[in-house]
Amino acid sequence: MPVDRIPAPLDQELLEALRQAVGVQWVLTDPDQLRTYECDGLTGWRVVPRAVVLPSSTDEVVQVVRICHRSHIPFVARGSGTGLSGGALPVEDGIVIGLSRMREVLRLDLDNERVVVQPGVPNLEVSRVVAPYGYLYAPDPSSQRVCSIGGNVAENSGGAHCLKYGFTTNHVVAVTLVTPDGEVAHLGSAVPDSPGYDLLGVVVGSEGTLGIVTEVTLRVLPVPQRVQTLLAAFPSTDAAGEAVAQIIAAGVLPAAIEMMDRATIEAVEFAMHAGYPDCGAALLVELDGPQSECEALFGQVVEICRSCGSSEVRVAEDEAERALLWKGRRGAFSAMGRVSPDYYVQDGVVPRSQLARVLAGIRELADRHGLKVANVFHAGDGNLHPLILYDRRAPEGPERAKRLAEDILSLCLEAGGSLTGEHGVGRDKVCQMPKLFSADDQRVMHLLRRAFDPAGTANPGKVLPTPRLCGEHPGIYRPHPLELSGAMQRL
Amino acid sequence: MTSLEAALEALLGKDSMAPAANEGDGPSPIPRVRPKSAEALAEVLAFANSRRLAVLVRGGGTKSGWGRAPTRCDLVIETTALNRLVEHEPGDLTCVAEAGLTLGELQRLVGRAPGHNQRLMLDPPQGGGATLGGLVATAASGPLRARYGTPRDLLLGARFALADGTLARTGGKVVKNVAGYDLGKLLTGSQGTLAVIVEVALRLHPVPKATRWVVAERLDPQAAQAALAALRRAPVVLSMAELLWPEGTLLTRLDGAVSACGQQAEIVRALLPDSRVAGESEAEELARMIEMRPWGGEGPVLGISVPLTRIGELVALVGVGGPVAQLSLRGTVGAGEARLREGADPAQFTARVDALGGFVAWHRSAAHNAPPLQPNDPVAAGLALGVKQALDPNLTLAPGRGPE
Repeated sequence: MPVDRIPAPLDQELLEALRQAVGVQWVLTDPDQLRTYECDGLTGWRVVPRAVVLPSSTDEVVQVVRICHRSHIPFVARGSGTGLSGGALPVEDGIVIGLSRMREVLRLDLDNERVVVQPGVPNLEVSRVVAPYGYLYAPDPSSQRVCSIGGNVAENSGGAHCLKYGFTTNHVVAVTLVTPDGEVAHLGSAVPDSPGYDLLGVVVGSEGTLGIVTEVTLRVLPVPQRVQTLLAAFPSTDAAGEAVAQIIAAGVLPAAIEMMDRATIEAVEFAMHAGYPDCGAALLVELDGPQSECEALFGQVVEICRSCGSSEVRVAEDEAERALLWKGRRGAFSAMGRVSPDYYVQDGVVPRSQLARVLAGIRELADRHGLKVANVFHAGDGNLHPLILYDRRAPEGPERAKRLAEDILSLCLEAGGSLTGEHGVGRDKVCQMPKLFSADDQRVMHLLRRAFDPAGTANPGKVLPTPRLCGEHPGIYRPHPLELSGAMQRL
Repeated sequence: MTSLEAALEALLGKDSMAPAANEGDGPSPIPRVRPKSAEALAEVLAFANSRRLAVLVRGGGTKSGWGRAPTRCDLVIETTALNRLVEHEPGDLTCVAEAGLTLGELQRLVGRAPGHNQRLMLDPPQGGGATLGGLVATAASGPLRARYGTPRDLLLGARFALADGTLARTGGKVVKNVAGYDLGKLLTGSQGTLAVIVEVALRLHPVPKATRWVVAERLDPQAAQAALAALRRAPVVLSMAELLWPEGTLLTRLDGAVSACGQQAEIVRALLPDSRVAGESEAEELARMIEMRPWGGEGPVLGISVPLTRIGELVALVGVGGPVAQLSLRGTVGAGEARLREGADPAQFTARVDALGGFVAWHRSAAHNAPPLQPNDPVAAGLALGVKQALDPNLTLAPGRGPE
């Protein structure tokens, strides 16, 4: 792959047009500056863009996109660059349109439970702004301090609490979309049931392939009256998986159910001493809502955990204890870096009733490939994040990891699951799409894409496979600078 | 038998033919087929498409008046023979069903799994006989929308046939999935103009252990507005908050654990002036009553949505001498239905809802023809047209109803 290839610079006339559109200092062409944009959170894939343009308004985005359209220059929209599927990976011969300067909260309309923001606003900023009024923005990807709302819209981001509250698509009610030919469309509405096809529904999660979102209207929710969190220790992932199945089947809908296996717990203890119990698997369960309901259901969850063999149930008594219980979960991925030189993350989904079976299958596969796998994931909705631990310097290290990853994914799909639960297809999984979708399925998606982007300039090579793309292989994982600095956690 | 009917019978077999019948105000009987498999449905669709025939898709026929009447119709394809529950995994709270299965039958089937009492939490008007495919295509919902959302929120995946006979899938059967474009959302509410839905994967919920109703009566518009604002901030989870006008009644329903339900009902009762917790027999009566509203009686029925802060103004339009006979509104959502007085022109009322910043959808529009399915924004309308042309270039599916 073209990691170190320096792309041909744009011709002067084009650069001049871009500079006129956004201002001279907001068109980056210096190779060192361009390198900052060569990858997103999936650092194995790297492509240096020909230029990076940083518009500050919908109008400027329109002008930049029109220049690209006229000159057939492919473009990749980028928020904070924390995505984990290479969705914001630059494309060869293309430019990056960075939305990081568009970070204003434009309007609060809390009586109607709406907030209007620009795409560069960080996810957590939305909740921070509405918190004084007793509201929150529900989707909470682990990178929420850094990741942008525009990126969340592109990826239809989830997070631990989407088990109860749904994904980005359930919380975005309207967007302003700059189409790939530089027109401005208003999709959806602050008011429900706007007429016409649900184009907003396909734009959310389209990974920047249908245009660039420059304004987003979000639904915010009142902060729940009560939040209760527990950590339950189990002898095995089988037992913990059974507890998850029983909680879901009982109709209890926790805000979050997260599972960590022994390998994860050991890494977390080694790295950050979160005080987790020594056990085969742990479940972190959080309930929220009206006090009465929370308390009634909490008792039920504790009972299910005990009946499934939990030896110890720790209940957070206050906010500080709750933060401590979450600390290990949130830091699990960086902790893994302390116990393994390299790791690769999967994002497969399985039906919840299959959790125990699939986890056992992953164990078998890991043994067969002679590698270790740590599991830390959103158990309540069946979204696995197996971390394949490997050493890139070992003979065939990366290749073995890759083969194991593919086998795990096949296992998820055989169980009736999906390729990706929240990270998106991006560049990373584009060549796996045929495992889930037939040629006809993909052709129909392609028809939709062409209806929005006939010229094919919006983030080409992402989401849908092309024969040319699928011969290349990613490089090895390298930690993202934000991750090293501790500003961002993975997953 | 017409030559078309003979060709259809040759294609599908005699037992997939249904008696021809007039469609809408159409002057002559239209041939009908009832394919027995998704593949057969795709085949007859491709047949019609290649001969430039106009096709209307029909499920239970409970919402055939919704949306604009097609300008042409040469063939009706009924989905009702595709009526199997393909898969129900109670532990996953999901199911996969063919599009022609009725909601009533689905509820019966998923409600009887041993040890599980589950439901699709959707209570659209005339819901029992409505098919799942039809409910998705019309995006129909009812009072439970306040808590569980609309078909958009409950649909996990779909299989569908394009006009050219291509059978394709979108989404999956797991509750979390971001692989590929979410075409299920595009099909939701597309009124049979983009593709024929042949199978759906849906999210289910357990039937709540306990239910309480709280009734507040004789509200005026200001009091209703204030009550809803207070309810939205109250520490309760409402399954319904139905505002019924001109009665000035607010019906709230709370579901959940027995103890929690009672406590929350008490919170709601204390919050709403002159309200009471309904007894068991009254609760049953209320449940039956809201199912009928506002559809009982003659006159056009419109889907209405307004900003939460304009609900008071909306209900003030309903009253003696006004165009609206009856209104049922999901008070915490700002969406519902209004039945106009017989002879009232929906266009006039539409203008008044517009002025409140809201939207109107024509569900039962009697003498008037509804506007085509089209976003207000011109660029969005252009995109919608592009999508229609990409998926149904010959305008085979319900011509005149979608963007053209």
